[in-house]
Amino acid sequence: MDILNIEHLSKSFGTNNVIDDLSFSVPENSIFGFIGQNGAGKTTTMKMVLGLLKATSGKINVCGEQVTYGQNKTNKYIGYLPDVPEFYGYMKPFEYLKLCGEITGLSENKIKSRSEELLVLVGLNKFNKRIGGFSRGMKQRLGIAQALLNEPRLLICDEPTSALDPVGRKEILDILHKVKGKTTVLFSTHILSDVERICDNIAVLHGGKLALCGTLSEVKSQHKQDGLLVEFASQVDKQQFMTSHSLASLMTNVEVTNTSIIFHTHDIEKTEMAVISAFTETKILPIRLEVLEPTLESLFMEVVK
Amino acid sequence: MQDIIEYLPFLMPLLIIQLILLITALIHVLRHPNYRFGNRVIWIFVVVLIQIVGPIIYFVFGRGEE
Amino acid sequence: MRSYIAFTKKEFHEIWSTYKFFILITVFLLLGMMNPITAKITPQLLDSFMPEGMVIAIAEPTALDSWMQFFSNVPQIGLIVLVIVFSGVMTSEFSRGTLINLLTKGLSRSTVILSKFTMSSAVWTLCYILCFAVTYFYTAYFWSSESINNIGFSVFCLWLFGILLLAIIMLGGVLFKNSYGGLLLTSGLVVVLMLVNIVPNLQNYNPISLASNNMALLTGDVPISDFTGAIVICGVGIIAFITSAIILFKKKQM
Repeated sequence: MDILNIEHLSKSFGTNNVIDDLSFSVPENSIFGFIGQNGAGKTTTMKMVLGLLKATSGKINVCGEQVTYGQNKTNKYIGYLPDVPEFYGYMKPFEYLKLCGEITGLSENKIKSRSEELLVLVGLNKFNKRIGGFSRGMKQRLGIAQALLNEPRLLICDEPTSALDPVGRKEILDILHKVKGKTTVLFSTHILSDVERICDNIAVLHGGKLALCGTLSEVKSQHKQDGLLVEFASQVDKQQFMTSHSLASLMTNVEVTNTSIIFHTHDIEKTEMAVISAFTETKILPIRLEVLEPTLESLFMEVVK
Repeated sequence: MQDIIEYLPFLMPLLIIQLILLITALIHVLRHPNYRFGNRVIWIFVVVLIQIVGPIIYFVFGRGEE
Repeated sequence: MRSYIAFTKKEFHEIWSTYKFFILITVFLLLGMMNPITAKITPQLLDSFMPEGMVIAIAEPTALDSWMQFFSNVPQIGLIVLVIVFSGVMTSEFSRGTLINLLTKGLSRSTVILSKFTMSSAVWTLCYILCFAVTYFYTAYFWSSESINNIGFSVFCLWLFGILLLAIIMLGGVLFKNSYGGLLLTSGLVVVLMLVNIVPNLQNYNPISLASNNMALLTGDVPISDFTGAIVICGVGIIAFITSAIILFKKKQM
């Protein structure tokens, strides 16, 4: 079942089309990476899902219910962590979670047990002081705790790791990984290594449109533009090698650098054969021959070009 | 002297309020290094030298976020 | 209802922790003391500033002079401090983005406005009562307890005007991005009301008379019934400002 379903969503601010006919869905119990450059429209999309912004056109469904702008009923299924979560500096973490719990309508006992549980999960149970003195990473962790308070079925995180140092980033990713299975996580980011670390589904947003979408392995195999790297000891060798007849059909899609050639191809075996026969033909041997795997980065660069 | 006794029920509370304001504001200035503008020395002068109004101005305009 | 109580509690927590409550209470306490004492010592001061040998007849101050100070100091100093302190009550939440979390938790937008209005009205009421009590006490101390006409009603009028200003601040907070917007809207509307007051026919319906014409009630120059129109208009204004603040806030993109 899809926990979030977006159909033909568009949003424009004045004449500026930020989101343009966007459609995708988030399957249950996945960690969904929502990737895009700064200004690609990630935050705008998320705010529309939360009913904080009004969509120009299109439909959003959360857990099968349609999202309405303003007083949004579907928010009871959602926990939201804004990019820079802001709290009341004079409150302590426990007081803040109590306020959140009372607003969501949790019972007194539930608030207490959930708060304790979550503060342990995010590692803030020992910091019973005012939030005003918290570091960015601590605020981010408290943000996750408040987002998870009402046991949401969908956790939406807006660039949860962008502003953090490597240690803080790792902590946040670990927490997100821990909650997987209990809740579906949708998180936006432009840090691709984070995505590769924990996501199973991804969507790449570019220019308000969906550029890529699917499970991480699916996307990788669909766009399998494998490459074969051949490196030579010298430029002369490389030049001579390139004149080989066996390579004639492959030379259409190559990247040539100083001493190496990368053959881009869809049939890696055939290319490899051709290259090896070129070695025997020219009697030049490489110092390195390597099959290149597609990386998320190369995919990303390809689609946002 | 007659006057002072007559105004004593008025002067005493005034003095107390003034002291409370001064002490609260001074403690706050010393414990919180962030101000919306100005620096610690300026605010200490304002709070101590300008009676009543100084501490009020500090709390309303000068007090920084936590 | 539960979220209204929770958010209102948060508002009180906030006004307390940000020292705003402390400031307001102190200002209104001081005002309460200032009123009778200014009335009491003004003749003596004038006397001492007069050149030697010059004598002017200054009437001995009365309790009425003390209340005259009350009805000029509270609107001129008290209400201004009140408006300044509360001008950021909505906008600080927007500029810092603290409301986003709570709104996505299902906090209704009308609750936000109503909670803030409840808290600010309650604080104003408390400060005002305190100020009144202090002035009342010292006035009785200096002049024994002379009875004053319509004092209760006159005090009520000024209180209602204060509530009107708070309602305008709520609307200003929704309309503008920074707290100066709310300040500007409130002072702008007060100026408009003052200008309207030039037209004699409208004076009886102008809410500003609730804050400027109080002495006429005490001296008995104007009957209570003359204020009915202004009170009704003021009440309608309060409801209208709060309602429009809620409606506009619901439309606001966050």
